[in-house]
Amino acid sequence: MFVQFISIPIMLLLSVLQMTAISRVTLINGSADIILIAIAAWGIREKSSGAYLWALIGGLLVSFASAVPFPAPLLPYLVTALLARSIQSRLWQSPILSMIGVVTVSTIFQHLFSILVLQFGGLEIGFIESLSSVTMPSLLLNFLFLFPVFFLINDLARWVLREEVYD
Amino acid sequence: MRSVSSRTLRNVVVVLFLAGVILLALSGFLRSFLGIVMDPFVATQRWLSQRAMAVYDFFTLPRDVTELLQRNAQLEDEVSGLQSQVIQLQEQLREAEVLYSLLDFARARPQDEYIAAAVIGRDPSPFLHYIILDHGSDDGIRHGMPVVTQQGLVGRVDAVTASAARVQLITDPGSVVNVRLQNRSEDAQITGSLNGEIHLEMVAQNINLEPGEILLTSGLGGNFPADVLVGQVQEIETTETELFQTALIQPAVDFDALRAVLVIANFQTININPLVPTPLP
Repeated sequence: MFVQFISIPIMLLLSVLQMTAISRVTLINGSADIILIAIAAWGIREKSSGAYLWALIGGLLVSFASAVPFPAPLLPYLVTALLARSIQSRLWQSPILSMIGVVTVSTIFQHLFSILVLQFGGLEIGFIESLSSVTMPSLLLNFLFLFPVFFLINDLARWVLREEVYD
Repeated sequence: MRSVSSRTLRNVVVVLFLAGVILLALSGFLRSFLGIVMDPFVATQRWLSQRAMAVYDFFTLPRDVTELLQRNAQLEDEVSGLQSQVIQLQEQLREAEVLYSLLDFARARPQDEYIAAAVIGRDPSPFLHYIILDHGSDDGIRHGMPVVTQQGLVGRVDAVTASAARVQLITDPGSVVNVRLQNRSEDAQITGSLNGEIHLEMVAQNINLEPGEILLTSGLGGNFPADVLVGQVQEIETTETELFQTALIQPAVDFDALRAVLVIANFQTININPLVPTPLP
């Protein structure tokens, strides 16, 4: 249980990194979401647990900083954790493929949910324009960050969950 | 009187002979003879000396190379340290230039009070255009305060914590700013968009809008002070079937390169929402 507390500094670090650096790296109008990728990587990690805690902390931190209304940042992260945990038990032998699948589905869900929430809040955001100029570029950037984040989280999990992994 | 012995006499003769030879040698008369005698010795000594130096170098040169390598590594460290210092100084110089230009802008508008703040982040959501400042309510920043740079209008403060503030840029899809055309008495408004473009709206069809026209804030609505530069008309998008014409605006501020901004601290925003008529149920 104690090892789950590592999610707090990691998510804090990733949130700061996301706001200061990653958000500036844009492709058309999209940007990568390393918090989502980290949650997926942790959730997909064999024998690791606590992805929901990572999602909760990441969602709360992003909700605090972002102008997007509250449930929009949190719910997609929880869905990411749920997807990662459920796919991990089925495709545990190919984590990279699982990661790509989880990140793809999660990113699309996150953006669709954000569009809905923002439209509900009164913003005029078109679905097609959003998908073409924000979601697809963001997905590509997420793929770009997927591998380094996956290997970093993998090493972190191996270090933190040493007893569980080498049982 | 004791007679001089033959031994002593022989010694005197030898000494005189040697002195004579030395005198001859010093005066140069024996140069050719000495050359014949000494040359083999000199050549032998030179050969021995060269071999001895070669052996000495063989044992000492590797140590010198090691020392040189160490020295080279030290110098390379110093060079990289100096290079990083140069980069830091260039960065500080760039920041100082930005701050000087902000200071110039603030001096040009003495009626306003400004709080300078650095941009430390951006909204994580790619759908929105917000920035995060490193100053908050502890520094006097309040919700709704306009934010500018020396180039023009940036946006307004949307949320504040004790040590940070979030600013909605005028490029945000939810941003609406009342503006006026500089050389006309016409009011209009600009709206942001998802892709960061700014559009001029609510311009009547009978107005002959031209590219390059300057837009300033009008002050209507009470959210922004009047006469702050916003941008200029870049491309007119007129459709005759529409009631109003629209135009694409080139903002005065480079939002991708925002590093520091000024928050106008003495501007009182006016909430006109109670005055806006609401439809009866």
